[in-house]
Amino acid sequence: MIEMAIHSLVIAGLIVSALMVFYFRDLLAATLAAGFFSFLISVEFYILQAPDVAISQAAIGAGLTTAIFIITIRATSRYEGGNP
Amino acid sequence: MKRELSVVIFVVLAAGLCAIPAFLTFGEPAESGMDQYFIGNGQAQAAANNIVTSVVFDYRGFDTLGESVILFAAVIGVGLMFRSMRGEEEHEDE
Amino acid sequence: MRMSKIVRTGANLLYPFILIFGLYVIMHGHLTPGGGFQGGAVVATGVALVIVAYSFEEVTSMIKKVGMKARESIGLLIFIGAGIGALAVGAPFFSNFLAHSGLLFGQSIPSGPNPGDLNTAGVIPIMNLAVGIEVWGGLAIIVLYMLSSIPKEGS
Repeated sequence: MIEMAIHSLVIAGLIVSALMVFYFRDLLAATLAAGFFSFLISVEFYILQAPDVAISQAAIGAGLTTAIFIITIRATSRYEGGNP
Repeated sequence: MKRELSVVIFVVLAAGLCAIPAFLTFGEPAESGMDQYFIGNGQAQAAANNIVTSVVFDYRGFDTLGESVILFAAVIGVGLMFRSMRGEEEHEDE
Repeated sequence: MRMSKIVRTGANLLYPFILIFGLYVIMHGHLTPGGGFQGGAVVATGVALVIVAYSFEEVTSMIKKVGMKARESIGLLIFIGAGIGALAVGAPFFSNFLAHSGLLFGQSIPSGPNPGDLNTAGVIPIMNLAVGIEVWGGLAIIVLYMLSSIPKEGS
């Protein structure tokens, strides 16, 4: 019962964070939302009893991809369509 | 015309994706004999408690070599690409 | 450009803990979930945290590009050497020639559920360490290369 509640909570969080990535105009906030999406996917892998995949998803998806996006934002502009 | 075609293709692909779980049971791969062999003999043969690691590094070690070489090639590609873009700056350290 | 003082202090504080956790995941790869690739990715995440928090000129005094390149090459060489070392004792390529041998990492384990011992599993811990060092250097050098291509006066 409690597993089912956590499971549906994680999946609802996945959908909400994916929509947040789509709606944010501030690209740094959108990147952080994508990192949170990856973190929730890693929690989902852990619930499905795949801890190896959960560790690699948390490190690569939530850590390194976010770092690469932040470096890209640093080299370009922070807001969509140029600086306001 | 093009738009209708893309809608039709999307509907067919989505229906196929939704139909897959109806034919396959969750958690049952097609061939399970090899899994039982690894679970039964992995601890005695590779002397490791973590069966996943003994599969990755012992039974399928050659595939892991390919994975490492792919990572090496990716780093070489990134280095070549960004080195040519960097121009002539003073932090050419090698 | 560099991040604010809060981000830099947090990165300095978290860096050694992430490093220790990643090395723990690498070294206990044959006992607990994880392994070389996962542990190396965790360590590279810590390095990327420091790289993101500072500017390029400050990062190159802390994290050397030569060292990361050397880690990557040495890791792959150790990995291939552990595979070729099996040929020297007459076993097939990539076979686990150190298991049950009584030498380095050569202890046998009883069958069934047990807490495990670090001194087991033959060449698997050596390969874990090699792949971990390689992934550490490789993923860190990718992020470092991307930072190095930002123009100095940009944003």
